[in-house]
Amino acid sequence: MAVTVGVVLGAGSAVAVLNHAQALGAQAFGGGWTGSMNAGSSSADPYTRAVVARVGLLALRRSETIYFSRALDDRGRPLSSACVYTLSGGSLPARWWSVTIYGNDNYLPVNGDIAESADATRTAKDASGKWTVKVAAQRPEGGDWISSRNAGNFSLTLRLYNPTPAALAHPEAIAFPSLTTKYCGGGAS
Amino acid sequence: MNGAFKALAVVIAVAVATHLAVIFAAPYAMMGIAMSRISQHGKVVNAWTFPPRTTERSRAIVRPSPDLAYASCVYDLAKGPVRIKVTPSGDYTSLSIFQANSDNIYAVNDRQAPNGVDLLLVRKDAKLNAPPGVTLVRSPTRRGIILDRRLAPTAEAFAVAVEARKADVCASAGAG
Repeated sequence: MAVTVGVVLGAGSAVAVLNHAQALGAQAFGGGWTGSMNAGSSSADPYTRAVVARVGLLALRRSETIYFSRALDDRGRPLSSACVYTLSGGSLPARWWSVTIYGNDNYLPVNGDIAESADATRTAKDASGKWTVKVAAQRPEGGDWISSRNAGNFSLTLRLYNPTPAALAHPEAIAFPSLTTKYCGGGAS
Repeated sequence: MNGAFKALAVVIAVAVATHLAVIFAAPYAMMGIAMSRISQHGKVVNAWTFPPRTTERSRAIVRPSPDLAYASCVYDLAKGPVRIKVTPSGDYTSLSIFQANSDNIYAVNDRQAPNGVDLLLVRKDAKLNAPPGVTLVRSPTRRGIILDRRLAPTAEAFAVAVEARKADVCASAGAG
């Protein structure tokens, strides 16, 4: 009986860790973005390895790519397809970057909009290099858009491919894209 | 009282052991699922698979990027080394190797290897040398996944990647 209880408790706590993987093994960086600089690394501890396998299997080592994600808005509330957000940023310290939306199941949301990401090559920039992307369930009249339709509570992943040496050495100093909640459920927020 | 204490001690000891075992085993299990999906349940091993452009229907691997063209090869070194060749397609291209616990044991991109990659993947303890001009990579585990990533944020870029990756090689190099 004691052994059975122990197995259930041990397995249950491990599954709970993996199911709340976003919050574990991750370090907080600027503007609400979190990440693990040990993703993909042979030096990762067993928890980081398990968490990365759960939410980012086949992640590249940091010298090749660094990954950040966020599941909360600028006020600490879960990102929701019921809200409209703007995501703004400037030049990022990498050869190529992208921001991609994922549903709670860690896959692209199924909505037929073919608007799952923004990236360095397609996103419109002003003269100073600044860019803005709307994250919303409805396509905006103009501008870049990531569709959150059918995404429920979602997360955003920022990929920096071939990050600069400075970004690798001091990821906390990266000028991360900022996320602003415009409104939720049709009302001002 | 003494019996209750012993029972509690057993519960705690078993719970800790089970917890750690699950955490340790999880990456192997998830890699096993991924290898099974990519290799079509073991039918396509030591050979590239070229999935179509990533869409909302892509479910082989969690968090795929819709801006990258992926090619994947499940390797099995049971019968000897595997030869891998990848030629860049003009924009970001990388080759990466993941052992069975999901660790990224090797990665190289087109800037580091502008003329492409030619490597021999062997077991960690294999006693052989790579031919001249070929990179030798040792895998701590017998099985794993090789990924070819190419920047392809548009249909046009994806078509270029598809054409370039036709020259990719992932094949058993025989006993070694």
